[in-house]
Amino acid sequence: MSHNDTIPLYQSSQSDIDEIENMMNAGFQSGPGTVLPARPPSPIRPSIPVSSSPFVQSNLPPLPPSSSSAAQKATPVPAPPSLPPAVNFGSSEGSKTTGFGSPPNTLTEPVWDTVKRDLSRIVSNLKLVVFPNPNREDPGKALRDWDLWGPFFFIVFLGLTLSWSASVKKSEVFAVAFALLAAGAVILTLNVLLLGGHIIFFQSLSLLGYCLFPLDVGAVICMLKDNVILKMIVVAVTLAWSSWAAYPFMSAAVNPRRKALALYPVFLMYVSVGFLIIAID
Amino acid sequence: MQPPVENYANPNTCLFHVLFKGAALAFYILSALFFNSFVIIFVVTVLLAALDFWVVKNVSGRILVGLRWWNEINDLGESVWKFESLDQESLARMNKKDSWLFWWTLYLAAAAWLILGVFSLIRFQADYLLVVGVCLSLNAANIIGFTKCKKDAKKQFQQFASQTIASRFQSTVQSAFTLV
Repeated sequence: MSHNDTIPLYQSSQSDIDEIENMMNAGFQSGPGTVLPARPPSPIRPSIPVSSSPFVQSNLPPLPPSSSSAAQKATPVPAPPSLPPAVNFGSSEGSKTTGFGSPPNTLTEPVWDTVKRDLSRIVSNLKLVVFPNPNREDPGKALRDWDLWGPFFFIVFLGLTLSWSASVKKSEVFAVAFALLAAGAVILTLNVLLLGGHIIFFQSLSLLGYCLFPLDVGAVICMLKDNVILKMIVVAVTLAWSSWAAYPFMSAAVNPRRKALALYPVFLMYVSVGFLIIAID
Repeated sequence: MQPPVENYANPNTCLFHVLFKGAALAFYILSALFFNSFVIIFVVTVLLAALDFWVVKNVSGRILVGLRWWNEINDLGESVWKFESLDQESLARMNKKDSWLFWWTLYLAAAAWLILGVFSLIRFQADYLLVVGVCLSLNAANIIGFTKCKKDAKKQFQQFASQTIASRFQSTVQSAFTLV
């Protein structure tokens, strides 16, 4: 989780409204033939004065969470609970900034900003990990902004889909799927670390969670269509996709001679999830 | 005449801080009466616990006690825990009731989950233990994060105070020498 965008101090937009009004008045007075001057640059919003609060530690580094612990957001979920209070918080935050001496950036941003930031982080992490893009060349850099919300949502979704497809023992299926995926991610991470690899624990958890997205898609398709042949094909394709997604990150983390040792368990876990998807009916 | 009792400065935030925690606990305890399906209990409880984690970490931590913590990965690929706090005068101006509520509900919720975990352990219900485990770890993460953040803020303030004293002392000595 990182906060890599400088968020200007939240101020009321009164200054902007004044500006626009002035512009309009100037326009009316200057007559129809003249060209309106270009919009003057908006007044420089005061950045946080550094002097008076030396322990404002949030020097936002130039990196691209999460994190975060992280966190993740099922997209429909945060909107209902945080939308009504977001408005209150937004307005109360605006009035409070004048009360505090020199508040740091992220401590006084409106709640809606935080929500948007977390949501966009999930989407960008997903795109980085699962879809082809140039950033995959440098795997160490790609998932800097780890967060656990995406993986959480994907694991729960996979469990729910499997549970829905099962005709009997729905609860057991869900519990087994969730425990398998969660414990599997932890064990795979420990595997890499014990092989002498250089990967951050949460970064790896986050990565393995995001790589479940193709299997999620496959599980949904298998739930909708109950043909065994189709299921096998779909699972094979999504399995290959998941493994392809996880490959560069895992292999970059360990010694080249131990690449296979790190990658094989990942593949094994995805194969077992694939079997689970096929076998459920 | 007694001075008026200080009221909560942020009643909405306090409400939400307590709401999701309480909802998760209540749903977990009461759901056995209504729902037969473990899946629903699991998903809803864990979802409420995750929402509570997010609210505490990002909203009520900021507003009620002026603290924030997160984890970053720096250029060298190492994980760094970052802490952020308001400056000392703002911290001192924080509403006492707010911060009391914040810390105590945090501890009480963790204790409640611990007790529920013990119950499910006694009854050998592994799947409910899973739910309790997840909720407990989310609560514990918040407690640890905020406690570290508070200690860090105190340390920063002490450093700042000693620095200020040292620099003032230095300037006094210098001015004394120039006078002589």
